[in-house]
Amino acid sequence: MEFTITGANALTYPHLHIWDWRVAIYLFLGGLAGGCMSMAAVANLRPGKDVPKNQACCWRVPMMTPIILAVGMGFLFLDLQVKQHMYRFYMTLQPLSPMSWGSWILVLVFPAMIAFALSTVPESAMDKLKDGMIRNLIIKAQNSMRPLAKLNFLLGILLSIYTGILLSSFMARPLWNSSILPVLFLNSGMSTGAATMILMARRSSIKLFFTKVDIWLIFSEITVLILLYYGQFTSPEASRESIMPFFTLTSQYFPYFISILTLSIVLPLAIILKFLELSGDHSENLELTFKQKFEMNASAVLVLLGGAIIRFALVYAGQLSKFTGLS
Amino acid sequence: MKHYAMVIDQSRCVGCMACIAACVQENQVPFENFRTRVLEITKGKFPKLRTEFRPELCNHCDNAPCVMACPTGASYKRKDGIVMIDRDKCVGCKACIAACPYDARYINEEHGFADKCTFCLHRLKKDLEPACVATCIGKSRVFGDLSDQDSEVSRLLAENESRVRLKAAGTKPRVFYINRYPTKK
Repeated sequence: MEFTITGANALTYPHLHIWDWRVAIYLFLGGLAGGCMSMAAVANLRPGKDVPKNQACCWRVPMMTPIILAVGMGFLFLDLQVKQHMYRFYMTLQPLSPMSWGSWILVLVFPAMIAFALSTVPESAMDKLKDGMIRNLIIKAQNSMRPLAKLNFLLGILLSIYTGILLSSFMARPLWNSSILPVLFLNSGMSTGAATMILMARRSSIKLFFTKVDIWLIFSEITVLILLYYGQFTSPEASRESIMPFFTLTSQYFPYFISILTLSIVLPLAIILKFLELSGDHSENLELTFKQKFEMNASAVLVLLGGAIIRFALVYAGQLSKFTGLS
Repeated sequence: MKHYAMVIDQSRCVGCMACIAACVQENQVPFENFRTRVLEITKGKFPKLRTEFRPELCNHCDNAPCVMACPTGASYKRKDGIVMIDRDKCVGCKACIAACPYDARYINEEHGFADKCTFCLHRLKKDLEPACVATCIGKSRVFGDLSDQDSEVSRLLAENESRVRLKAAGTKPRVFYINRYPTKK
Protein backbone atom coordinates (compact mmCIF):
# COMPACT_ATOMS: atom_id res chain seq x y z
CA MET A 1 0.00 0.00 0.00
CA GLU A 2 1.33 3.40 -0.92
CA PHE A 3 0.33 6.13 1.45
CA THR A 4 1.36 9.69 0.78
CA ILE A 5 0.08 12.60 2.79
CA THR A 6 0.61 16.12 1.64
CA GLY A 7 -0.14 18.88 4.08
CA ALA A 8 0.05 17.10 7.44
CA ASN A 9 0.68 18.91 10.71
CA ALA A 10 3.89 17.92 12.43
CA LEU A 11 2.16 17.88 15.83
CA THR A 12 -0.33 15.25 14.77
CA TYR A 13 1.39 13.25 12.05
CA PRO A 14 2.39 10.45 12.11
CA HIS A 15 1.52 10.45 15.81
CA LEU A 16 0.01 12.95 18.13
CA HIS A 17 2.70 14.50 20.31
CA ILE A 18 1.08 17.41 22.05
CA TRP A 19 1.54 16.42 25.67
CA ASP A 20 4.98 15.63 27.02
CA TRP A 21 6.70 15.04 30.36
CA ARG A 22 5.13 18.16 31.86
CA VAL A 23 1.63 16.66 31.63
CA ALA A 24 2.90 13.26 32.80
CA ILE A 25 4.45 14.88 35.88
CA TYR A 26 1.26 16.87 36.50
CA LEU A 27 -0.82 13.70 36.39
CA PHE A 28 1.64 11.90 38.68
CA LEU A 29 1.80 14.71 41.22
CA GLY A 30 -1.98 15.22 41.03
CA GLY A 31 -2.53 11.53 41.80
CA LEU A 32 0.12 11.63 44.52
CA ALA A 33 -1.48 14.68 46.13
CA GLY A 34 -4.87 12.93 46.05
CA GLY A 35 -3.34 9.82 47.59
CA CYS A 36 -1.60 11.86 50.30
CA MET A 37 -4.88 13.63 51.13
CA SER A 38 -6.74 10.37 51.56
CA MET A 39 -3.98 8.51 53.35
CA ALA A 40 -3.23 11.37 55.74
CA ALA A 41 -6.94 11.47 56.49
CA VAL A 42 -6.89 7.73 57.19
CA ALA A 43 -3.93 8.23 59.52
CA ASN A 44 -5.91 10.76 61.50
CA LEU A 45 -9.16 8.84 61.50
CA ARG A 46 -7.78 5.43 62.51
CA PRO A 47 -9.51 3.99 65.54
CA GLY A 48 -7.39 3.24 68.58
CA LYS A 49 -4.59 5.67 67.81
CA ASP A 50 -3.17 8.14 70.28
CA VAL A 51 -3.19 11.92 69.79
CA PRO A 52 -2.60 12.41 66.08
CA LYS A 53 -1.11 15.84 66.50
CA ASN A 54 1.98 14.28 68.06
CA GLN A 55 2.59 11.80 65.26
CA ALA A 56 4.98 13.05 62.66
CA CYS A 57 3.32 11.54 59.62
CA CYS A 58 -0.02 12.96 60.58
CA TRP A 59 1.02 16.54 60.03
CA ARG A 60 4.01 16.49 57.70
CA VAL A 61 2.17 14.83 54.85
CA PRO A 62 -0.87 17.16 55.00
CA MET A 63 1.59 20.06 55.02
CA MET A 64 3.39 18.67 51.96
CA THR A 65 0.25 17.92 49.98
CA PRO A 66 -0.64 21.48 48.84
CA ILE A 67 3.00 21.95 47.80
CA ILE A 68 2.97 18.71 45.78
CA LEU A 69 -0.22 19.76 44.02
CA ALA A 70 1.03 23.29 43.43
CA VAL A 71 4.21 21.95 41.85
CA GLY A 72 2.09 19.63 39.66
CA MET A 73 -0.08 22.55 38.60
CA GLY A 74 3.09 24.48 37.84
CA PHE A 75 4.04 21.82 35.31
CA LEU A 76 0.55 22.02 33.77
CA PHE A 77 0.91 25.77 33.58
CA LEU A 78 4.22 25.33 31.76
CA ASP A 79 2.41 23.22 29.18
CA LEU A 80 -0.25 25.83 28.40
CA GLN A 81 0.39 27.64 25.14
CA VAL A 82 -1.44 30.86 26.08
CA LYS A 83 -0.48 31.27 29.72
CA GLN A 84 -2.00 34.73 30.06
CA HIS A 85 -5.44 33.22 29.33
CA MET A 86 -5.27 30.81 32.27
CA TYR A 87 -7.96 32.78 34.09
CA ARG A 88 -10.37 31.61 31.37
CA PHE A 89 -10.59 28.24 33.14
CA TYR A 90 -12.48 30.03 35.90
CA MET A 91 -14.78 32.11 33.75
CA THR A 92 -16.95 29.12 32.85
CA LEU A 93 -17.87 25.58 33.82
CA GLN A 94 -18.05 23.22 30.87
CA PRO A 95 -20.00 20.18 32.08
CA LEU A 96 -18.70 17.88 29.33
CA SER A 97 -15.04 18.84 29.64
CA PRO A 98 -13.05 16.92 32.27
CA MET A 99 -10.33 19.57 32.09
CA SER A 100 -12.93 22.13 33.15
CA TRP A 101 -14.03 19.87 36.02
CA GLY A 102 -10.38 19.58 37.00
CA SER A 103 -9.85 23.30 37.25
CA TRP A 104 -12.86 23.60 39.56
CA ILE A 105 -11.92 20.49 41.56
CA LEU A 106 -8.62 22.20 42.32
CA VAL A 107 -10.53 25.20 43.65
CA LEU A 108 -12.35 22.87 46.05
CA VAL A 109 -9.31 20.83 46.96
CA PHE A 110 -6.80 23.54 47.86
CA PRO A 111 -8.73 25.21 50.72
CA ALA A 112 -9.74 21.81 52.09
CA MET A 113 -6.19 20.46 52.09
CA ILE A 114 -4.79 23.63 53.64
CA ALA A 115 -7.45 23.64 56.36
CA PHE A 116 -6.70 19.98 57.07
CA ALA A 117 -2.97 20.68 57.18
CA LEU A 118 -3.59 23.46 59.72
CA SER A 119 -5.76 21.15 61.81
CA THR A 120 -2.89 18.69 62.22
CA VAL A 121 -0.23 21.15 63.41
CA PRO A 122 1.33 19.56 66.53
CA GLU A 123 1.49 21.18 69.94
CA SER A 124 5.27 21.48 69.70
CA ALA A 125 4.92 23.68 66.65
CA MET A 126 2.06 25.64 68.21
CA ASP A 127 4.34 26.69 71.04
CA LYS A 128 6.64 28.40 68.57
CA LEU A 129 3.81 30.37 66.95
CA LYS A 130 3.08 33.86 68.19
CA ASP A 131 -0.50 34.95 68.79
CA GLY A 132 -2.01 36.07 65.53
CA MET A 133 -4.22 35.20 62.62
CA ILE A 134 -2.43 31.97 61.73
CA ARG A 135 -2.53 30.69 65.29
CA ASN A 136 -6.23 31.49 65.51
CA LEU A 137 -6.86 29.76 62.20
CA ILE A 138 -4.99 26.68 63.40
CA ILE A 139 -7.00 26.54 66.61
CA LYS A 140 -10.26 26.84 64.67
CA ALA A 141 -9.15 24.14 62.21
CA GLN A 142 -8.06 21.82 65.02
CA ASN A 143 -11.57 21.90 66.42
CA SER A 144 -12.83 20.48 63.12
CA MET A 145 -9.99 18.04 62.45
CA ARG A 146 -12.14 14.94 62.01
CA PRO A 147 -14.70 16.46 59.59
CA LEU A 148 -11.81 18.01 57.67
CA ALA A 149 -10.08 14.62 57.50
CA LYS A 150 -13.26 13.00 56.16
CA LEU A 151 -13.62 15.75 53.56
CA ASN A 152 -9.97 15.31 52.55
CA PHE A 153 -10.42 11.58 52.19
CA LEU A 154 -13.25 12.11 49.70
CA LEU A 155 -11.57 14.96 47.84
CA GLY A 156 -8.37 12.92 47.59
CA ILE A 157 -10.30 10.17 45.82
CA LEU A 158 -11.91 12.77 43.55
CA LEU A 159 -8.56 14.32 42.68
CA SER A 160 -6.85 11.00 41.97
CA ILE A 161 -9.66 9.64 39.85
CA TYR A 162 -9.94 12.90 37.94
CA THR A 163 -6.38 12.54 36.61
CA GLY A 164 -7.49 9.33 34.92
CA ILE A 165 -10.83 10.67 33.71
CA LEU A 166 -8.98 13.51 31.99
CA LEU A 167 -7.30 11.03 29.66
CA SER A 168 -10.06 8.46 29.41
CA SER A 169 -12.53 10.98 28.02
CA PHE A 170 -10.62 11.24 24.71
CA MET A 171 -12.47 8.92 22.39
CA ALA A 172 -9.94 9.70 19.66
CA ARG A 173 -7.12 8.01 21.59
CA PRO A 174 -8.06 4.35 22.04
CA LEU A 175 -5.43 3.57 24.70
CA TRP A 176 -6.80 6.27 26.97
CA ASN A 177 -10.44 5.73 26.12
CA SER A 178 -11.02 3.06 28.75
CA SER A 179 -13.19 3.26 31.84
CA ILE A 180 -10.52 1.25 33.67
CA LEU A 181 -7.92 4.01 33.30
CA PRO A 182 -9.45 6.28 35.99
CA VAL A 183 -9.60 3.29 38.35
CA LEU A 184 -5.93 2.56 37.63
CA PHE A 185 -4.95 6.17 38.29
CA LEU A 186 -7.02 6.22 41.47
CA ASN A 187 -5.41 3.03 42.65
CA SER A 188 -1.95 4.21 41.75
CA GLY A 189 -2.56 7.58 43.42
CA MET A 190 -3.68 5.94 46.65
CA SER A 191 -0.74 3.55 46.53
CA THR A 192 1.79 6.35 46.08
CA GLY A 193 0.04 8.26 48.89
CA ALA A 194 0.50 5.29 51.21
CA ALA A 195 4.14 5.04 50.11
CA THR A 196 4.65 8.70 51.01
CA MET A 197 3.16 8.06 54.44
CA ILE A 198 5.63 5.20 54.93
CA LEU A 199 8.54 7.39 53.89
CA MET A 200 7.51 10.29 56.09
CA ALA A 201 6.34 8.39 59.18
CA ARG A 202 8.70 8.07 62.14
CA ARG A 203 6.83 5.55 64.22
CA SER A 204 7.15 1.91 63.27
CA SER A 205 3.46 1.31 64.02
CA ILE A 206 2.42 3.85 61.42
CA LYS A 207 4.92 2.57 58.89
CA LEU A 208 3.57 -0.91 59.50
CA PHE A 209 -0.03 0.18 59.15
CA PHE A 210 0.56 1.81 55.77
CA THR A 211 2.72 -1.09 54.66
CA LYS A 212 -0.31 -3.34 55.13
CA VAL A 213 -2.54 -0.85 53.35
CA ASP A 214 -0.08 -0.51 50.48
CA ILE A 215 0.20 -4.27 49.95
CA TRP A 216 -3.50 -4.40 49.14
CA LEU A 217 -3.26 -1.29 47.00
CA ILE A 218 -0.35 -2.69 44.96
CA PHE A 219 -2.11 -6.01 44.46
CA SER A 220 -5.14 -4.08 43.30
CA GLU A 221 -3.00 -1.85 41.06
CA ILE A 222 -1.41 -4.84 39.33
CA THR A 223 -4.84 -6.42 38.82
CA VAL A 224 -6.30 -3.24 37.34
CA LEU A 225 -3.24 -2.77 35.12
CA ILE A 226 -3.62 -6.31 33.77
CA LEU A 227 -7.34 -5.70 33.24
CA LEU A 228 -6.58 -2.51 31.31
CA TYR A 229 -4.33 -4.38 28.89
CA TYR A 230 -6.69 -7.33 28.69
CA GLY A 231 -9.65 -5.08 28.03
CA GLN A 232 -7.78 -3.29 25.25
CA PHE A 233 -6.60 -6.58 23.76
CA THR A 234 -10.13 -7.96 23.55
CA SER A 235 -11.57 -4.73 22.12
CA PRO A 236 -11.80 -3.65 18.47
CA GLU A 237 -8.70 -3.28 16.32
CA ALA A 238 -7.77 0.29 17.27
CA SER A 239 -7.80 -0.55 20.99
CA ARG A 240 -5.85 -3.75 20.44
CA GLU A 241 -3.25 -1.92 18.38
CA SER A 242 -2.97 0.75 21.07
CA ILE A 243 -1.27 -1.61 23.56
CA MET A 244 1.09 -3.18 21.05
CA PRO A 245 3.95 -0.71 21.70
CA PHE A 246 4.22 -2.25 25.16
CA PHE A 247 4.69 -5.73 23.74
CA THR A 248 6.80 -5.00 20.67
CA LEU A 249 10.54 -5.18 21.04
CA THR A 250 11.68 -2.77 18.35
CA SER A 251 13.78 0.36 18.55
CA GLN A 252 10.70 2.51 17.91
CA TYR A 253 8.76 1.09 20.84
CA PHE A 254 11.70 0.26 23.11
CA PRO A 255 10.78 2.75 25.91
CA TYR A 256 7.27 1.28 26.14
CA PHE A 257 8.55 -2.27 26.27
CA ILE A 258 11.01 -1.25 28.99
CA SER A 259 8.24 0.50 30.93
CA ILE A 260 6.05 -2.60 31.11
CA LEU A 261 9.12 -4.73 31.90
CA THR A 262 10.12 -2.34 34.70
CA LEU A 263 6.60 -2.29 36.12
CA SER A 264 6.49 -6.06 36.12
CA ILE A 265 9.67 -6.03 38.25
CA VAL A 266 9.11 -2.94 40.41
CA LEU A 267 5.60 -3.61 41.70
CA PRO A 268 6.08 -7.29 42.66
CA LEU A 269 9.44 -6.39 44.21
CA ALA A 270 7.71 -3.74 46.30
CA ILE A 271 5.23 -6.34 47.52
CA ILE A 272 8.03 -8.79 48.42
CA LEU A 273 9.87 -6.10 50.38
CA LYS A 274 6.67 -5.25 52.20
CA PHE A 275 6.11 -8.86 53.19
CA LEU A 276 9.68 -8.96 54.45
CA GLU A 277 8.87 -5.88 56.49
CA LEU A 278 5.83 -7.50 58.01
CA SER A 279 7.84 -10.53 59.07
CA GLY A 280 10.01 -8.36 61.37
CA ASP A 281 9.37 -7.32 64.96
CA HIS A 282 7.43 -4.05 65.01
CA SER A 283 6.44 -3.64 68.62
CA GLU A 284 6.04 -0.01 69.66
CA ASN A 285 9.02 0.18 71.93
CA LEU A 286 11.53 -1.30 69.50
CA GLU A 287 13.78 0.93 67.43
CA LEU A 288 13.73 0.19 63.73
CA THR A 289 16.86 -1.51 62.50
CA PHE A 290 18.71 -0.23 59.44
CA LYS A 291 17.55 -3.27 57.47
CA GLN A 292 13.91 -2.63 58.37
CA LYS A 293 14.17 1.04 57.48
CA PHE A 294 15.85 0.18 54.21
CA GLU A 295 13.15 -2.35 53.26
CA MET A 296 10.37 0.08 54.15
CA ASN A 297 11.84 3.03 52.33
CA ALA A 298 13.01 1.01 49.34
CA SER A 299 9.58 -0.50 48.80
CA ALA A 300 7.99 2.95 49.12
CA VAL A 301 10.40 4.38 46.55
CA LEU A 302 9.62 1.48 44.21
CA VAL A 303 5.91 2.23 44.51
CA LEU A 304 6.50 5.90 43.70
CA LEU A 305 8.67 4.88 40.76
CA GLY A 306 5.94 2.53 39.52
CA GLY A 307 3.35 5.31 39.76
CA ALA A 308 5.53 7.66 37.75
CA ILE A 309 6.24 5.00 35.10
CA ILE A 310 2.52 4.31 34.68
CA ARG A 311 1.79 8.02 34.06
CA PHE A 312 4.70 8.55 31.66
CA ALA A 313 4.09 5.35 29.70
CA LEU A 314 0.37 5.93 29.31
CA VAL A 315 0.64 9.63 28.44
CA TYR A 316 3.16 8.95 25.69
CA ALA A 317 1.77 5.66 24.40
CA GLY A 318 -1.77 7.05 24.29
CA GLN A 319 -0.63 9.62 21.78
CA LEU A 320 0.61 6.88 19.47
CA SER A 321 -2.86 5.39 19.35
CA LYS A 322 -5.55 6.51 16.98
CA PHE A 323 -8.56 5.18 15.19
CA THR A 324 -7.42 2.80 12.49
CA GLY A 325 -9.24 2.22 9.26
CA LEU A 326 -9.49 4.86 6.65
CA SER A 327 -13.21 5.47 6.55
CA MET B 1 -31.12 28.51 9.20
CA LYS B 2 -28.35 27.30 6.95
CA HIS B 3 -26.64 23.96 7.49
CA TYR B 4 -23.28 24.17 5.85
CA ALA B 5 -21.61 21.03 4.56
CA MET B 6 -18.98 19.96 2.07
CA VAL B 7 -19.18 17.12 -0.41
CA ILE B 8 -15.93 15.82 -1.85
CA ASP B 9 -16.16 13.96 -5.13
CA GLN B 10 -12.98 11.91 -4.94
CA SER B 11 -13.23 10.85 -8.56
CA ARG B 12 -12.66 14.47 -9.56
CA CYS B 13 -9.65 15.09 -7.34
CA VAL B 14 -6.39 15.07 -9.31
CA GLY B 15 -4.11 15.60 -6.32
CA CYS B 16 -2.85 18.98 -7.50
CA MET B 17 -2.78 20.28 -3.90
CA ALA B 18 -3.99 23.69 -5.03
CA CYS B 19 -6.56 23.54 -2.22
CA ILE B 20 -3.77 23.36 0.34
CA ALA B 21 -1.95 26.31 -1.19
CA ALA B 22 -5.15 28.35 -1.44
CA CYS B 23 -6.03 27.61 2.20
CA VAL B 24 -2.57 28.55 3.45
CA GLN B 25 -2.65 31.78 1.47
CA GLU B 26 -6.23 32.72 2.34
CA ASN B 27 -5.96 32.04 6.06
CA GLN B 28 -2.32 32.98 6.56
CA VAL B 29 -1.70 29.53 7.99
CA PRO B 30 1.72 29.46 9.71
CA PHE B 31 4.68 27.67 8.13
CA GLU B 32 4.45 23.87 8.43
CA ASN B 33 0.81 24.01 9.62
CA PHE B 34 -2.12 22.98 7.46
CA ARG B 35 -5.89 23.23 7.74
CA THR B 36 -6.45 20.81 4.91
CA ARG B 37 -4.43 17.99 3.40
CA VAL B 38 -4.70 15.49 0.58
CA LEU B 39 -3.98 11.81 1.10
CA GLU B 40 -2.87 9.66 -1.81
CA ILE B 41 -3.52 6.02 -1.08
CA THR B 42 -2.72 3.24 -3.54
CA LYS B 43 -4.19 -0.18 -2.85
CA GLY B 44 -3.89 -3.56 -4.48
CA LYS B 45 -1.15 -5.69 -6.02
CA PHE B 46 0.69 -4.74 -9.19
CA PRO B 47 -0.60 -4.43 -11.86
CA LYS B 48 -4.09 -4.28 -10.31
CA LEU B 49 -3.77 -1.05 -8.37
CA ARG B 50 -6.28 1.60 -7.39
CA THR B 51 -5.42 5.06 -6.18
CA GLU B 52 -7.62 7.18 -4.01
CA PHE B 53 -7.10 10.89 -3.52
CA ARG B 54 -8.72 11.94 -0.28
CA PRO B 55 -8.79 15.60 0.69
CA GLU B 56 -9.20 15.99 4.45
CA LEU B 57 -10.12 18.92 6.66
CA CYS B 58 -12.06 19.67 9.83
CA ASN B 59 -15.32 17.75 9.61
CA HIS B 60 -17.33 20.35 11.55
CA CYS B 61 -18.94 17.46 13.37
CA ASP B 62 -22.45 17.77 14.76
CA ASN B 63 -21.26 15.76 17.74
CA ALA B 64 -17.90 17.48 17.96
CA PRO B 65 -15.50 15.94 20.53
CA CYS B 66 -13.27 19.03 20.38
CA VAL B 67 -16.15 21.24 21.52
CA MET B 68 -16.93 18.88 24.39
CA ALA B 69 -13.29 18.68 25.49
CA CYS B 70 -12.67 22.43 25.51
CA PRO B 71 -12.45 23.59 29.15
CA THR B 72 -13.03 27.28 28.47
CA GLY B 73 -15.77 27.22 25.84
CA ALA B 74 -13.31 28.56 23.25
CA SER B 75 -14.38 25.84 20.82
CA TYR B 76 -18.01 26.15 19.92
CA LYS B 77 -20.47 25.15 17.24
CA ARG B 78 -22.40 27.81 15.41
CA LYS B 79 -26.04 27.36 14.52
CA ASP B 80 -25.07 27.01 10.86
CA GLY B 81 -22.96 23.98 11.77
CA ILE B 82 -19.49 25.51 11.59
CA VAL B 83 -17.19 24.65 14.49
CA MET B 84 -15.20 27.73 15.47
CA ILE B 85 -12.52 28.72 17.98
CA ASP B 86 -12.73 31.92 20.00
CA ARG B 87 -9.05 32.87 20.13
CA ASP B 88 -9.53 35.17 23.11
CA LYS B 89 -10.81 32.26 25.19
CA CYS B 90 -8.29 29.63 24.08
CA VAL B 91 -5.65 28.76 26.69
CA GLY B 92 -3.72 26.42 24.41
CA CYS B 93 -4.27 23.38 26.64
CA LYS B 94 -4.40 21.16 23.54
CA ALA B 95 -7.33 19.10 24.84
CA CYS B 96 -9.19 19.73 21.58
CA ILE B 97 -6.26 18.41 19.55
CA ALA B 98 -6.21 15.24 21.63
CA ALA B 99 -9.98 14.92 21.30
CA CYS B 100 -10.16 15.20 17.51
CA PRO B 101 -10.08 11.77 15.87
CA TYR B 102 -9.36 13.42 12.51
CA ASP B 103 -6.23 15.27 13.66
CA ALA B 104 -7.66 18.39 12.08
CA ARG B 105 -6.32 20.88 14.59
CA TYR B 106 -2.93 22.39 15.27
CA ILE B 107 -1.38 24.95 17.57
CA ASN B 108 -0.61 28.30 16.01
CA GLU B 109 2.94 28.49 17.33
CA GLU B 110 3.12 32.22 16.80
CA HIS B 111 0.13 33.06 19.00
CA GLY B 112 -0.38 29.84 20.96
CA PHE B 113 -4.07 29.23 20.29
CA ALA B 114 -5.49 26.12 18.65
CA ASP B 115 -6.53 26.59 15.06
CA LYS B 116 -8.27 24.73 12.27
CA CYS B 117 -10.47 25.03 9.17
CA THR B 118 -13.36 27.47 9.51
CA PHE B 119 -14.95 26.73 6.14
CA CYS B 120 -13.53 30.22 5.40
CA LEU B 121 -16.28 31.88 7.41
CA HIS B 122 -14.93 35.31 6.55
CA ARG B 123 -15.52 34.52 2.87
CA LEU B 124 -18.97 33.02 3.50
CA LYS B 125 -19.99 36.34 5.05
CA LYS B 126 -19.19 37.93 1.70
CA ASP B 127 -21.14 35.24 -0.20
CA LEU B 128 -17.92 33.67 -1.40
CA GLU B 129 -17.05 29.98 -1.33
CA PRO B 130 -14.27 28.63 0.90
CA ALA B 131 -10.87 29.18 -0.70
CA CYS B 132 -10.22 25.48 -1.25
CA VAL B 133 -13.57 25.09 -3.04
CA ALA B 134 -13.08 28.17 -5.18
CA THR B 135 -9.63 27.05 -6.28
CA CYS B 136 -10.38 23.35 -6.89
CA ILE B 137 -9.60 22.83 -10.57
CA GLY B 138 -11.39 19.48 -10.80
CA LYS B 139 -14.49 20.71 -8.97
CA SER B 140 -13.95 17.94 -6.49
CA ARG B 141 -14.90 20.05 -3.51
CA VAL B 142 -18.49 21.26 -3.39
CA PHE B 143 -19.72 23.48 -0.57
CA GLY B 144 -23.26 24.48 0.23
CA ASP B 145 -26.32 24.53 2.41
CA LEU B 146 -27.84 21.16 3.31
CA SER B 147 -31.12 22.75 4.37
CA ASP B 148 -31.62 23.92 0.78
CA GLN B 149 -32.95 20.94 -1.16
CA ASP B 150 -31.91 22.54 -4.43
CA SER B 151 -28.30 23.16 -3.43
CA GLU B 152 -25.60 21.19 -5.17
CA VAL B 153 -24.48 19.47 -1.98
CA SER B 154 -28.04 18.24 -1.35
CA ARG B 155 -28.31 17.03 -4.94
CA LEU B 156 -24.96 15.22 -4.84
CA LEU B 157 -25.81 13.49 -1.59
CA ALA B 158 -29.24 12.48 -2.93
CA GLU B 159 -27.81 11.07 -6.14
CA ASN B 160 -24.70 9.35 -4.76
CA GLU B 161 -23.81 6.92 -2.07
CA SER B 162 -21.79 8.94 0.41
CA ARG B 163 -19.34 8.14 3.19
CA VAL B 164 -18.00 10.03 6.15
CA ARG B 165 -14.68 9.50 7.86
CA LEU B 166 -14.59 7.23 10.91
CA LYS B 167 -18.33 6.77 11.05
CA ALA B 168 -17.94 4.47 14.04
CA ALA B 169 -16.57 7.37 16.07
CA GLY B 170 -20.11 8.78 16.13
CA THR B 171 -19.05 12.35 15.53
CA LYS B 172 -21.56 12.99 12.71
CA PRO B 173 -19.22 14.80 10.30
CA ARG B 174 -20.41 17.43 7.83
CA VAL B 175 -17.83 16.57 5.21
CA PHE B 176 -19.11 13.83 2.93
CA TYR B 177 -17.20 11.75 0.38
CA ILE B 178 -18.58 10.34 -2.84
CA ASN B 179 -17.11 8.29 -5.71
CA ARG B 180 -14.11 6.93 -3.86
CA TYR B 181 -12.33 5.71 -6.98
CA PRO B 182 -12.19 7.48 -10.37
CA THR B 183 -13.23 4.41 -12.36
CA LYS B 184 -15.53 1.45 -11.71
CA LYS B 185 -13.84 -1.89 -11.03
